[in-house]
Amino acid sequence: MIRIHVTSVPVDNQEKALAFYTEKLGFIKKTEIPVGEHKWLTVVSPKEQNGVELLLEPMAFEPAKVYQKALSDAGIPWTSFAVEDLESEHQRLSELGVQFTMSPKVVGPVMMAVLDDTCGNNIQLVQML
Amino acid sequence: MKNKPKTFFEQQLEQVAESSPLKAYHYVHVRQSRAFIEQYYSERVELEKMAAAAFMSRAHYIRIFQQIYGVTPRQHMRSVRIEKAKELLKAGLSVAEVCFEVGYESLPTFSKVFKSGTGYSPRAYQKANKSNPE
Repeated sequence: MIRIHVTSVPVDNQEKALAFYTEKLGFIKKTEIPVGEHKWLTVVSPKEQNGVELLLEPMAFEPAKVYQKALSDAGIPWTSFAVEDLESEHQRLSELGVQFTMSPKVVGPVMMAVLDDTCGNNIQLVQML
Repeated sequence: MKNKPKTFFEQQLEQVAESSPLKAYHYVHVRQSRAFIEQYYSERVELEKMAAAAFMSRAHYIRIFQQIYGVTPRQHMRSVRIEKAKELLKAGLSVAEVCFEVGYESLPTFSKVFKSGTGYSPRAYQKANKSNPE
């Protein structure tokens, strides 16, 4: 059976991204394999260490950079992560200096917020209500 | 933050929320019933009771719940039980203990549901997570 084992966010700098996704968001580095001038670099949630991996993928394709910037300028998230308590997570991350492009907001059955990952992407955090 | 102009994304969200056919009370009642499921996942919860708690008929309740969360109340209950089972297996409880703890009365049913939800048998899941050095 086919299963989803990896998803990705494009990042402008893998080292900077690793620091942000581990030190600020709280993920754990899972794999780091040199591939040419870049690396296959993934992180996982501490709660799901055998779950889906997030690939911090080097953004090296010029047309894709245009797309990434357009999404970023419009405030559209590249992807979405789940949290259990968004308001406390928003406070924790704000205290760590993370910038939010949208503060926590209730939209139908969820509360959501959007943050800047400093690597070119907006990331959505969602709490199911 | 308050003076920041709203992004295109935020404006779109607000438009979508305003055009929803569901009323605020639908969200309130269905959220309450979802919280009820999360609290009483280990018990035999009848759909009729959940619907009554949300002030809806059984059919209307299932339809509204699915419209809001994308899954039926039963599917959600199953997911909650699987998530709880994963935690308990990681904590080292036996498969049988976990089975009863999360509200299943039959080990084969529990194993089948767990495998379809996670891709692993409960024992394989426990083994994989115990062997993880982190």
